[in-house]
Amino acid sequence: MNYTFDFNAVSLGPLIEGLIVTLELTVAANLIGVILGFPLALLLMSRIAVIRWPATLFVEFFRCTPAIVQIVWFFYCVPMLFNVFLGSMTMGILALGLNLMAFNAEAYRAAIQAVPREQVDAGIALGLNPFQRVFYIVLPNALRASIPVLLTNGIVIFQQSALVAIVAVQDLMYQAKTLATETYRPIETFTIAALIYFAVSFPVTQVVGWLERRRQVLTS
Amino acid sequence: MTAASAPLVSIQSLHKSYGPHIQVLKGLDIEMKPGERVVVIGPSGGGKSTLLRVMMGLEKIDSGAITFGGKPYISSSDLAAKTVIDTEVRRSIGMVFQHYTLFPHLSVIQNLVLAPCKVRGEKKASALQRAQALLERFGLGAKANAFPAQLSGGQKQRVAIARALMLDPKLMLFDEVTSALDPELVAEVEQVILQLANQNLPMMIVTHDMWFAKNIASRVIFCAGGVVVEDGPPEQVLGAPREERTREFIDRVFHIKQ
Repeated sequence: MNYTFDFNAVSLGPLIEGLIVTLELTVAANLIGVILGFPLALLLMSRIAVIRWPATLFVEFFRCTPAIVQIVWFFYCVPMLFNVFLGSMTMGILALGLNLMAFNAEAYRAAIQAVPREQVDAGIALGLNPFQRVFYIVLPNALRASIPVLLTNGIVIFQQSALVAIVAVQDLMYQAKTLATETYRPIETFTIAALIYFAVSFPVTQVVGWLERRRQVLTS
Repeated sequence: MTAASAPLVSIQSLHKSYGPHIQVLKGLDIEMKPGERVVVIGPSGGGKSTLLRVMMGLEKIDSGAITFGGKPYISSSDLAAKTVIDTEVRRSIGMVFQHYTLFPHLSVIQNLVLAPCKVRGEKKASALQRAQALLERFGLGAKANAFPAQLSGGQKQRVAIARALMLDPKLMLFDEVTSALDPELVAEVEQVILQLANQNLPMMIVTHDMWFAKNIASRVIFCAGGVVVEDGPPEQVLGAPREERTREFIDRVFHIKQ
């Protein structure tokens, strides 16, 4: 290979601007996912089928279709079907946020159902009423258990957000594509973009690992 | 019937099954007097733990009734196949489980004060004071701010006992509380229970530890196949059982011990 690398040809400015947009997408999607994922998890566990079924359908739709299809569907089909278009950034946030909401709901549900039955029995034996058992025993246990999964899902969304570049949201990936075309330096540009994604994701994965080890010690 | 001999607990014709095919309790009748320490022994699957769980109000029953201190406590209504539990009465019963069941997200002392504060509306300061005193008494004063994961099995179980005592129970149920412990930790837990026995706290104990049974029981019930097979003072049931099934069980248990 006779390729001469020239990283100087790639200006960081647009990439940093793109990173900021990517982070905005990530934070906004996580706000939706973390906050609304919880009530959705409660609907998933409802004993009433009419409530449980639509919630299950929602979650399974997002879990069983590719994220890129969801994003494209949101951008092209929602405006045509419902005659609303909210701007590409808002649509991007909604698509990613609803996707994350589905995955986080599953994380919350799994964590709640993983609280041992004996913990609830102990609560009954201590005279706590059903509300107190949920509020003081089940939820604190479950929320702690779900944190590593929520963080992992959050960082997955940070990476998935690169998909919104195809519908003209000017995120890190979009800026990298533009820059690669302008400078004829795709290798350098995409390598730097990858390194930026890595630099943000890696510390979070380390925190997740640390949290999981700590939790294993605490619950053993 | 005088007040002194009135039963503390009266279990009448208790039936309980898990699903349509597994009948665990097949008409249990037990009367327990105040101050009695009843040890329930018997083979696994004989319904011992289920009996305690029913008495704690953790299980539905098929039929029968339980009264506590003369008041109706648990009964079944045939109409709706429902179990009616008086939650007020339930609060005067405490239970300690085989697997500690401390709340892992709360420190030792927070485990102790949660129920008194939330259930009885006790002031936090007074609950904390009582909790600390109880922990000191059980040799756990220094562990008040530790988390359950930092304790040994024996310490966890003593905390669990203290937690139940915070609510001043009128009856304590111990469900195989030393079965999950390393052998060298069993004694420290049994010591604590013996301490409570000396204060005449009524208790019902399910255990496989025959030495402990002999030492603590004022009465032993041998339970097998969902019914009471033999019921009497420890010297009789453990020493000279009248029923063939009891004798077989005792022989086997003591044979293993030697």
